[in-house]
Order: sequence, then C-alpha cells, then structure tokens
Amino acid sequence: MYPAPFNYHRAGSVAEAISLLSNLGDGVRALAGGQSLLVLLKARFDTVTDLVDLGRIRGLDGIEAGNGEYRIGALATHARLARSPVAEAIPIFQDAANGIADNQVRSRGTIGGNVSSGDPSCDWPTLLIALDAQVHCEGPDGKRAVPVNEFVEDLYLTVLGDGEIVTGISFPAPEKGAAGAYVGFKRCAPAYPTTSVGVQLTMDGDDCKDVRVSLGSSGLTPIHATGAEAELRGKLLTDDVIVRAADAAVAESDPIDDQRGTPEFKQLLINTLVKRGIGVARRRCAGEQVEVSHEYY
Amino acid sequence: MSWVGKSPRRKEDDRLIRGQGLFTDDELGEGMLQLYILRSPYAHAKINSIDTSAAEALPGVACVLTGKDVLEHCDPYMQLALEPAANIQDYPLARDKIHFQGEPVAAVAAETVGLAMDAAELIDVDYDMLDAVLDVEEALKDEILVHDNIGTNRTWQGVYEYGDVDKAFAEAAHVVKIDRLHFHRYSSTPLENNACVAEWTRQGTVEFLCNNNFPGFAKQLLAPGLRLPIENVRVRTYDVGGAFGNKIWNYVYMALAALASRKTGGRRVKWAEIRTEHMLAAGHGNERTYVDTEVALDKDGVITALRSRHLDDCGAYTRYEPLGCVIFSQVLPATYKLRNIRIEMNQAVTNKCPVVPNRGYSRMQQLWFMERVVDICGQELGIPADEMRLNNYITDFPYETPNGCVYDSGNYPAMLDKAKELLDWDKWAAYRDQARSEGKHVGIGIGTTLDSGTNNFGQAQIMNPHLPFSGNSEACIIRLDFDGAVVVTLGTGPSGQGHETSASQVVADELNIDPSMVTVRSGFDTNWNTFVGHSGSYASQFAVTGLSAVHGACQKLKTEMRKLAGFLLEAAEEDLEFGVGEEGPQLKVKGTDKAVNYWYLSNIVNNNNAVLQGALEDVTLNVRHVYRPPFNVPDVEKKFGNLTLTYAAQLHIAVVEIDPATCRVNTLAYAAVDDCGTVINPQIAHGQVHGATVHGIGAAIMEAFDYDEGGNLLTATFSDYCPITSMNIPDIAYGNIETPSPFSYNGAKGMGEGGGAPLHTMSAAVQDALHGAGVIVTDSFVSPPRVYELLQNPNRETAVSVG
Repeated sequence: MYPAPFNYHRAGSVAEAISLLSNLGDGVRALAGGQSLLVLLKARFDTVTDLVDLGRIRGLDGIEAGNGEYRIGALATHARLARSPVAEAIPIFQDAANGIADNQVRSRGTIGGNVSSGDPSCDWPTLLIALDAQVHCEGPDGKRAVPVNEFVEDLYLTVLGDGEIVTGISFPAPEKGAAGAYVGFKRCAPAYPTTSVGVQLTMDGDDCKDVRVSLGSSGLTPIHATGAEAELRGKLLTDDVIVRAADAAVAESDPIDDQRGTPEFKQLLINTLVKRGIGVARRRCAGEQVEVSHEYY
Repeated sequence: MSWVGKSPRRKEDDRLIRGQGLFTDDELGEGMLQLYILRSPYAHAKINSIDTSAAEALPGVACVLTGKDVLEHCDPYMQLALEPAANIQDYPLARDKIHFQGEPVAAVAAETVGLAMDAAELIDVDYDMLDAVLDVEEALKDEILVHDNIGTNRTWQGVYEYGDVDKAFAEAAHVVKIDRLHFHRYSSTPLENNACVAEWTRQGTVEFLCNNNFPGFAKQLLAPGLRLPIENVRVRTYDVGGAFGNKIWNYVYMALAALASRKTGGRRVKWAEIRTEHMLAAGHGNERTYVDTEVALDKDGVITALRSRHLDDCGAYTRYEPLGCVIFSQVLPATYKLRNIRIEMNQAVTNKCPVVPNRGYSRMQQLWFMERVVDICGQELGIPADEMRLNNYITDFPYETPNGCVYDSGNYPAMLDKAKELLDWDKWAAYRDQARSEGKHVGIGIGTTLDSGTNNFGQAQIMNPHLPFSGNSEACIIRLDFDGAVVVTLGTGPSGQGHETSASQVVADELNIDPSMVTVRSGFDTNWNTFVGHSGSYASQFAVTGLSAVHGACQKLKTEMRKLAGFLLEAAEEDLEFGVGEEGPQLKVKGTDKAVNYWYLSNIVNNNNAVLQGALEDVTLNVRHVYRPPFNVPDVEKKFGNLTLTYAAQLHIAVVEIDPATCRVNTLAYAAVDDCGTVINPQIAHGQVHGATVHGIGAAIMEAFDYDEGGNLLTATFSDYCPITSMNIPDIAYGNIETPSPFSYNGAKGMGEGGGAPLHTMSAAVQDALHGAGVIVTDSFVSPPRVYELLQNPNRETAVSVG
C-alpha cells in the first residue's frame, strides 16, 4: 500500500526537530524507525502532512552504563539493544528485545519510537515499567523526565506535548542478585503479543525484597501491576503468595475483546504469565540461566 | 533406466531462486497505468450516489470507472446456478447495492498506484447502510435478502439418498445424534496476490497477462462479460506464486483493468491486489454447517447409515458455486463402507466475501464431517479411534460408492500401520495414559482423507442439467525445433507444482534421453500455446491429465520420427531404437552404427524437404495430443455416476497436549502418510504433502476469517489473520505407500490438495484430549481462544446423544 503524499523533513539536531515539529501544524509527525508509523500511513489511517525524520540526528542512539544507571538513546534499534551489554547484564532486556516482531522490524524499529507510539501492545513500555524507567523528553519548553508508567495516558496517547520528542530512556541498574523475566504469548512474528508480562525481582534469601510487575496488551495502556507487587513484596515466595499475586494482576488488567481472544481468555494468559514470569525471575536470581521470550502458540 | 520415480533437479528452480521468475506484477512497461479499486467499507448497503469529479480532476489520473461504466460495456457474468440464483447480477463493480465488505465500488487508473489511491480517497460515495445477514441459517429464512431480484438467498438444494436409510436406522444397535457441526472459513493465502495486466488493443481484442489458475474457464466467462467474442480475449500466464484454487475467479476483477484500458484508448493497465484486498475480497473457502446428523451403527461400531442436513455458506455471489454442492459427493462416504446415506445439501448467499475453491475444495468439508462422525461415535461408544476406522474402512478396490464413484485403489489399514510406525504409536499411547492419570490433557487423533483428482465435469449437470460441461481433458504439443530440441507446451499453467520438471521426466523416458534435453514452455497462452476448456491447475489432476497428454503426444511424435528415420536410414521402423549418441538424441538401427540425430530429422521437415520427394506428407514433427479420461455423463436424477478418476489418500496422526493454563494446542508428534499411486517425482510429491499439511495445521489452529455482527472482517491483515509460519509448525514425519491406479496409464493419482487431513486430525486429537473434560469438538477451528471456550463450557451434554 502507498501512503498519501506528505512533505519530508530531515532534522539535523534535536533543536531543529523540535522547531520543525512545533511549526508545521497538526499534520506533522516525528519519524524514527517507522515500524509503527509507516504501517498507519500505508493504510491511510492517519492524515499526515509532514514527516520530520529524526533518524540522522547524531548522538541519539547511545547505549551507556554508569553512575548506577543505564542510559539509552531514543534511536537505538531493537536489534542493537538485543546484542548490547545491557541485554547481557539484564536478562529481562534480552527477553523483550529478541521477541519483538521479526528481524526486519528489529533492525529498523527504535526504542524511542516504540515507547512514543503509546500502543499497549508494544513491548518496551511494559518492560520498562518493570525496570522503573524514566522517559527523557525534550520540547519547546525544555527537557523533562517522566516515569514510564505515567508516560502513556490512554490508547495511543502519550504525555508528549506539541513539538516534544523522546530523546532517551534511563533506568537504575538493578541491584546485584536481582533478575527479571519478560514473557509473552503471540501467534506469529507479525502479530502483537496476545498478552505479555514483565517481572523484575530482588530477592533476599527466599523472600521477595522488592519487585516490579507490568502487563502488556492487557488494557488500553501498559499496566503497572502495583496490587500484584504488594502481594509479593517482603514475603516468602510460597505458591500461595504467587497465586495471590497472579490473581491481583488479573484484577488490575482490563483486556479488550478482539480477534486475539476474549478478555476472559486473555486474563487466563495473564494469570499464567505472571506465575511463569515470577518463576523464571526467581530462578535467574538464584543464578540459573533460563531462556525465555515470546512463546508462539 | 527410468526418470519417473526419481527427483532430478527442478527445472523451474534456477530462475525462481535467482529472482528471475516472471510474476504478473513484475511486468513493467512504458506508460503503463496502475489500477486501484475502491472497495465498500460496508457489508450491505444501498449506493445513493457516487461523485468522482474530484478524483478525475487530480493530475495523473487517467480514468475513473463506476457502476455506470460496467452497465454500459459489460454483461453480467454467466452464473452456473439454476434459476432463481441464475439471475444474480454479478458485474465487476457494484451498481446500486453493496453485498459484502470489500465489494468494488469504483476503480481508478493513474500514472502510479499512489496517485490512484489518492484519487480513490477523493471519490464521494453516499451509502445507506442495511442490516446484514451473515449466518447461513439466518440467510435461509429469507428475512434479509442479499440479492433482492432473486427473491431468496437459497442458491441450491438437493437430496443425495442411497440405500435404505430408514430400514438401517430401524435395525441399528446404536443411534448417535450430533446436534451441530461447523467447518470454518479460511483460505490458503497464496504468497502472490491476484494481479493482471490488460490491454484493449486497436483491433478490439484484449490481451491479459494474469495469474488465474483455470484460464480455460476464465476466458469463457470473461469474454462474454466484456461483450467480446471468446476468440478476441487472449489470456496468458507465466510464473504464478501459489493459487490453491483461490485464483479461479479473479477474472471478475481482471475485467476492470480491461475496461480502464478501453477507456484510456488502449493504454496497458496493471492491477496488483494488496494483501488486505486479498483477504477481504479475493475469495474465502466454503463455510459449512451440518445439522440434524444421525448415525446408525451395529453392535460392533460399524456404521450402517447416516442422515444429515448440510448448509453451505457461499458468501455474497455464487461465481464457481453452487458446484461445491456436488463436488463434495466425490467423497460422499469418505473412506468408509456404509451404503445407506441421506444428505440434504443446501446453499445460501450471505453478506460475506464470496467463496472460491480452496485447497481440498468441498471434499475436505465432507471428509471433515465424516471424520467427526466416526470419532464422535467412537468416543461415545468407547471404541478406540484406530479400531473404529479398521471396522469401517473400505478394503476392496476398485470400489463403487453408493453414488457411483469408483475408488480406484488404496490400502487404508496399511497407511494406518505405517503412520503408527512413523509416529511411534505405542510410546505415545503410553504417554497419553500416564499423562491422563496426572490430570493432563493429552490426545491422539487420526485423520483419514481422500484427494479425489481428475474430476468429471459432468457432475456440474447434477447441479444444473442445462450446463454443457462433461468429462475432462488436457492438451500437450510436442515438437522438434530447428536444432532438434524437444519442445513441449502444456495447457496446465502451474503455480509451483513443478510441471516443467515432471513433464520432462515423462518425455525423457519415452525418448530415452535426459530430462535436461527437454524444454517445457511453462505458462498458459490462448494465442500461442495449446489448451482445452478444462486446461488449468486445479482439482489435483496434473499427474493424470497433464502427464497423459504428454505421454500421448510422445507416442504420436515417436511414430512420426520412426517413419522419417526409417525412410532416411532405409530401415524397418521396428529395427529403430531411441537413444542418445555422439551427436545428441538420435534414432539408431539396432546392432549397427547407422543413426540419424534430431537436428537432421527436424531439418529435413523444416528446411530440406525436397529430400523426401513428396513422401511422408503427414510427418510434421509437431504434434498435439488431447487426453480425455474415460467418463460418462452422470445420471442427473439419481445423482449417480463416476465423478473423479483417481483417489489419492492421506492418513495423518497427531499427538497434542493442551495446557489448561494457556489453552495452547501443543503438537508433540505428527505423522503424515500419503498414497498418490505411482510417484512421478518423490521430492515434488513430498513437498506437496508438506505444504498441504502445513496449510491444514494453520487452518486448524491459527487461521480464520472472523466477521463481526456488522459484517466487518476482523482478520483482514496477516497480523490479525496470522497464516502459519515456521515457528508454529511441528516436525512432520512423512511416509508414503504406493497403490498404483488402474485407471491412469502410469499408475499415478492426482495429488497436491491433500484433502484437508490436518483439520480432521487436529479436531480428532483435541477431541481425544478433552473428551474426559466433557468436550465434543464441533468446529474445525481449534485455536487457543476456542479451546478456552470449550473448557469453560463443556458441551458434551448438548452436542451429542446416544440411543
């Protein structure tokens, strides 16, 4: 399919991008890897007059660690992230990056674009909630950092203002001995997950010292499952505790009815994935190597 | 030395692997226009007005077509149905009413596709939405009419009754009643979408390059639709990227490219369908509902009689239908020996995409039904699935079915044995029992199925006695070119089945040469190649019709070559032998070194004929043969006759485990055994079995066309429809047995469609896994969300009863 005609602008710097995006009216969109936007344009679901291509802005694709945190530039692609030292250090990161769509999409798509699309089916926002990440934005009014779970406000709607773009992501380096798991169910590579779950655990012996739980494709926005976390935090991780956490996560979810399944079916999957995610995260905390990602069913 | 039975390197692959194939959308040309079709967003609506002025004013737009143009230049396509359905007005564009979501409303030809799409957005269509009828049972009530002028939605009804059904029920030890079964909508989603390039020439002819897979038929419908003599329409194909029957009625849309060419003064116009258009409107497989099913069995679980009502949903237009209402009866009793059958077949139109033949067309729906019957009866009577089949299989061949079809050969018990061996049946049976004792859902399912090939078009008269079709045929020309090259043309128009390779194997055997010495010109061309009305690639028949035509043509050529060589070598024809000498392919006098090569023979006829001094006038070294299978016209009243020549068989077994925590249907082991008689090319046959198996597994667990209550297709993209990918395919253990057909010269049976075996198999396996949980599998689609529903709402109490 072919998009309707639009004007193409290539921004050389963040400042230029902000200026272009601020001055080209309602029909302007920022273009990064294009893996969400171009699909919409080709289907002519969105009326766009101008595209501002961020792809050539230098220095926006860095992947760095230091001072107790990780900093990732908005233009880092899924494929680079999957092969990066961050993925090596943080298993949950690798789980997600390798599970996104197919090789072609992973080579083009960026973390900043994925987060900016505001799509509850996207993997990065869900994962980043589990890592307690901040989204760094820059716009006509300057820079700000927004916690990722506050970044997506509603279906396809983020807090980004006019002319504002995502420039990067940061999150605190997990404590030593902490580990997580990102697990999802999907039917095939081009399909979004039917549901996905991120769990990041910090253990103290057999007790859960701290935990973050997030749910993807489980409502109109990525969900920070604080109820599930409350069932787990500070407790000995018995089967009963885990069951209660999974039930709490289901109660926090609000999946839509679509061709991927009914809300009830998706809640069954959420329940299962929360349990599975906790199980894998716990084994990884104990130093075990466990490979997980999206499961095709 | 025989080439048949070996797998020489495929002739097609060199160009295809190097990206040198010529698919329709690869065709480029100076000044070629691109066509884009504007389609209805609604399933059922009245068109009040269409304003195309803004679209026509857009620079780069060459023309816009609407219903007015088709009314001015087209006649409705011929319908196969009897009245009143024969009066369905099927045009390339909607006129005053929309009948399904995706129906073409207007078409724009422009310098680029992008411009054509821009222009289509500027077309203002004023619709009044109407309530849609989407379910076949609702449609048969005629409360909402899809086509107002025919006064009903029913397109066909007929009763297939054989034996003494009532007596068999009266004497039955058990009667099993099955409330309702449903075969879902899906298609085979070929890699290449529909496409054509059309040119309306100054001579008033139309030239089409297209990917239709039954061009002999398409041309006969397309030309009258365009108000042209059939001779004035040239249909040409070259490489086709999969068809599976799905491209049989793309002629409906091809007409639009021709009309746009006509309107623009003869410019070439290309139409290349977009995937979403393909999913919306290129044709879906037949959806069928089976109600009031009753099965009579004796005390040993042998089925003695069956009665049922079948309701086929053909979507908004009949097109190739209601042929499906007869085609199913090629395999009426499936692989089973029951003699008393009464099936009432019904079909109706609905506000959904029209159906099109789809790999396994209509027989698969019947075979799935029969396999469900066998498994449900077996489960309810406590008879294991393998025993149930062995009790009921047909074992003596040739076998005449109650409706007069003749199953040529087969050995279903041997296939079952082989599949069990491939699978390691005993191991998995033990695993199942152990797993069940631990509360797990593990099941083993068997699917036995038939791929009836080389159909007798006379069966169309059972549907409509006025149709002038019967028998079947295929044509081949074989000739020696100037340099003696052996050149073969065929009417078949393959779409990936390797006809160039297997035809060259047959020629090589006949002439005692190497397949590499044979050139097979692929593709269909009604101007320059040979063809007959039945020509095409469909209905699992090439190994019989195509190769018999090649074989017959070889006999004629050999006769001529012997005469000519005998004359030149002054030898008796019976003393000549075919082979390859130092100067290439030749005829040689046995026991001597006297020989003449093909170049010499060809040169005599084509360039140097005074040598002949007027002798051998009938030798042309360019011969045509048409193969006609031995068919009679069926008895239309009794619905009795032989409807297909060969019956390839498939036997699949799957072991599945269903995790109640996800409802995933995890296939632990899968075996597929095929019998297509004598195998021409084992690699190609294996590939066909693999492809059909994968298509069937996809259909069973992933692929469905789902509509909402407004008639909107919810699975119109690959992201939502999810055709099966390598990540979803279990390891497939493949095996083969050969029961040569007594009815084909080479013992081969047509194959490739595969009978939908995995659908039957996966339904059976899921049923076996969940029967203990009170579940009867009544739908052919067993995706995880469907399994969830089954587990939440066990249906055994209402779905089946045993008396």
